[in-house]
Amino acid sequence: MRYILIIFSLILITFSAVIGQVDPVVTDSLAPVPAPPAPVTEVAVSDKANDHGHALIIEWKRSLDDGAGSNAVMLYEIFRSEFPDSAFKMVGSVPLGNERFEDIGTIEKESRDYIPDNTNLYYRVDAVTIDPVVRTSSEVYGPVQSYSNWFHKGRVPVLTAVLIFGALMVYFVSVARKGTELYVRPLAGIAAVDDAIGRATEMGRPILYILGLGTADMISTIASFTILSRVAKQVAEYQTELIVPCYDPIVMTVAQEVVKSSYLDAGHPDNYKEDSVFYITTNQFAYVAAVNGIMLRDLPATNVYMGKFYAESLILAETGAVAGSIQIAGTDEVGQLPFFIVACDYTLIGEELYAASAYLGREPIMLGSLKAQDYAKAAVIVLMILGLLAINVHLNAFIEIFKVVD
Amino acid sequence: MTSHLMPPLALTLVDIGRILSLAVIAGGLLWLFLRAIKRKEVERRVIFLFIFVSVVAPILFPTVFQEKATPIVKDVFDKIESLPPGSVVLLSYDFDPAMAPEVQPMADAISRHCLVRGLKIIYMCLFATGQGQFTSTLENVIKPEFPDKVNLVDYVNIGYKAGNEGVLNVIITDFKKMFPTDVDGVPYDSIAVFKGIRSCKDLDLVISIGGGKPGIKEWILFVGDPGNVPIASGVAAVVAPLMYPYYPAQMLGMLGGIKGAAEYESELVHHYPQFKNSPTPALLMMGPQTLAHLVIMAFIVIGNILYLLERKKGRKR
Amino acid sequence: MKKTTLIIMAGVTVLFLLSWIIKALALEGMQEDYIKKAFLVTFSAFLTLSILSFLYRDNPFYKFAEHLFVGVSAAFWMSMGFWSTIVGNLIPRLSQNLSVFFKVHYIPGDFNFRFYIPVILGLLLLMRLSRNYGWISRWSLAFIVGTTAGLNFIRYLRSDFIKQISATFVPLLVDWQGTGHFFSNLDLSASGQLVMMLANWTIFLGVMSGIIYFFFSKEHTGMFGRASRFGIWVLMITFGASFGYTVMGRISLLVGRITFLFRDWLGFNI
Repeated sequence: MRYILIIFSLILITFSAVIGQVDPVVTDSLAPVPAPPAPVTEVAVSDKANDHGHALIIEWKRSLDDGAGSNAVMLYEIFRSEFPDSAFKMVGSVPLGNERFEDIGTIEKESRDYIPDNTNLYYRVDAVTIDPVVRTSSEVYGPVQSYSNWFHKGRVPVLTAVLIFGALMVYFVSVARKGTELYVRPLAGIAAVDDAIGRATEMGRPILYILGLGTADMISTIASFTILSRVAKQVAEYQTELIVPCYDPIVMTVAQEVVKSSYLDAGHPDNYKEDSVFYITTNQFAYVAAVNGIMLRDLPATNVYMGKFYAESLILAETGAVAGSIQIAGTDEVGQLPFFIVACDYTLIGEELYAASAYLGREPIMLGSLKAQDYAKAAVIVLMILGLLAINVHLNAFIEIFKVVD
Repeated sequence: MTSHLMPPLALTLVDIGRILSLAVIAGGLLWLFLRAIKRKEVERRVIFLFIFVSVVAPILFPTVFQEKATPIVKDVFDKIESLPPGSVVLLSYDFDPAMAPEVQPMADAISRHCLVRGLKIIYMCLFATGQGQFTSTLENVIKPEFPDKVNLVDYVNIGYKAGNEGVLNVIITDFKKMFPTDVDGVPYDSIAVFKGIRSCKDLDLVISIGGGKPGIKEWILFVGDPGNVPIASGVAAVVAPLMYPYYPAQMLGMLGGIKGAAEYESELVHHYPQFKNSPTPALLMMGPQTLAHLVIMAFIVIGNILYLLERKKGRKR
Repeated sequence: MKKTTLIIMAGVTVLFLLSWIIKALALEGMQEDYIKKAFLVTFSAFLTLSILSFLYRDNPFYKFAEHLFVGVSAAFWMSMGFWSTIVGNLIPRLSQNLSVFFKVHYIPGDFNFRFYIPVILGLLLLMRLSRNYGWISRWSLAFIVGTTAGLNFIRYLRSDFIKQISATFVPLLVDWQGTGHFFSNLDLSASGQLVMMLANWTIFLGVMSGIIYFFFSKEHTGMFGRASRFGIWVLMITFGASFGYTVMGRISLLVGRITFLFRDWLGFNI
């Protein structure tokens, strides 16, 4: 029975095709078949700017039957091919009312989204009605090629900032290397360190220096080494005891060298004790427990905390305060600063730690970068004032400069 | 105890508990103050005891406060309200069990809100332990409250990938490269939620819940700013003050600490009364918070009075 | 070890064993693997209380919990590193056979010699274990530091520098339509004109004076000194807010633990 039906319909289709008057698709619905809509016009395809290639932008003028005319267009389908007249593949669709589509592919040849670069491509846009069969294709646009760009123009502000900051940095470091005096204002915290060492000497009690939990490559730990060197030098002169318990074995090795050479510089190499700088453990709270023990047993006159600190900051500083020591702290870990500020007598806030190190160490790279940062800050202030003026007098062109696009 | 046997003005057990605990705390503070004036040392364990009592009492005798959403929280809520159903939201669980009491309520409330609005959710995490935290949302919120929501269609969990900000640097251009499958091994292309989503740039909203590194800051730096993707966040209280500078230009809103979570929960219940009986852990936590904060404020006041007295005495000398 | 310590330790152990049994009886019939579940809850409660006991003073329970935590987390991160980095990210791109072995989804066609570069760099990093050839690991470290610095430099410059500068361009006279309009529209709502104006002025003055405070090339005297003084006030207020938030965060964590103890362990209906 089924075969008879199939044969019958085949005969019917052939017959109707010959006659040319009957629709070849047998539909049982009574819905009116929409008339083909007007095609989209002025199709234009261009390479997407500021990218790594493999992407194009297709723009067109809406069909006359989109939102007007016969109102038949429901969506637009975009087709791409590497040949002008065949093998078109649909790459995407947008609802009515749109006049733009971004055909973004990948660089991977195996991916089905692959769009070859520097190859002729052809595009066509179909205006599609509610019945997907009824549609009108635009004229084929092409050939067009996608290609990658060397520069992302939207990132010019970032490039400018990099160049300016880099130039400042190179300039000031080279100036510092030549030995030119670069002024850094004295910091209250550093003066306090000197006083505290004096106090410890008077009381005959030791000084405890904590380098924090940072590793030797962290900038705050490096800054801390410079400050330790200064403290050790003075301690050597006053012949006070210095205790440096360490968290990291590499930090300990460096700290030993720093203290040793400071004693040598001060002219008292014989006063240096190898075990004044020692390793405890690389476990945060175990380290804290050990240091707390030292604070409560040895009752140091002064505790200095410089470097990277985390959750242990308050535990350390609080125990120190209970032990009645003078405390000076410095860290660039913003989250821990409040705790040091409440529990210590002096705190070097964030960048002040680097500044203190540059001030004491006179290291050209540190001094130079500090200076470069100061100029960058001055630039920020100037830009801020200009920006405020601009926004308050509605000069939007200036504000646009700071727009970074991707 | 049955209610009809109680006289009309009778206090419930909970009320008695509340009054008693307040009396204990107030009495204790007075004792502390008197001791402080007499310059007698107070052991630090006493302070711990105060905090313990002021936290435990409101848990055992719950007091729920009304919260009104502040603009920074309301912005997150309004953004989700404004998204049309079917929009895709990415919720990143960037936290571990240690942070969970603070931020899990946010993740649950936001999940509830997105699902009730008919939004699709992609769950992922930048913390390896975030995986387990998502299971908590799945078991406690999605399965019991939204039994009709289907995995892979309404939500999907793509899990954890090592690489911190490196992961974000990849998914800003291509999700599939970093997440070829979801956690159960379902290939990317057969996940309905990902239909039309190629990279983070195609998402309608990204919400990072966390408080460590990597977290919301990395999302802003590596996804929000370069991809122009709307980013919101729910963060642990410790991080909240550090994130304010990004609001509203680079981050459209933020739930800061348990207070932010409580505000969000109350806003949700206010707009969707069907969640009246859903758990609101953050709102419940505001009771202990309030009492503990009052006690800490009392400590600060007592400490400062003492300091001023000492200073006056020092001057007289 | 003192005799009393031993007695206390034994007592606590017995107490928690009892708690396990009671919990298991309570959970029986409600959950399938009730004995395991009861053990997990009781053990969590024991560890929580052990850590909290440090508030009284250092003791063996605290030490046990701390060491357990350190050991477990070290092992957890190590296995996580293997399963998520090596098995999760590398093997699916390297070999089909290995992917099948580790039951991960192989990414076909993605094979590329460049995936061997991280393998080699990773192996070089392990040279740290050798006393004589430890220096070779610095190459990998240099790669890590270099790429991270490069990646972060651009991102930070864009997000934390340029975008943050433009975020401070705020209208100091919000919606200014003359004094008449200003005074007739005075209200204290968060989105009101007055509050917005105050907020914008605070941002402007706060950022400006904050930067001046961190300016090291000039002595802080005169007008500059006053601005820097204002800057340190702003910083202190920020730290105060930060401190307050931290207190809130810590209390939340405490509430979380106490809720666990009362609800999940002791079975209070809260």
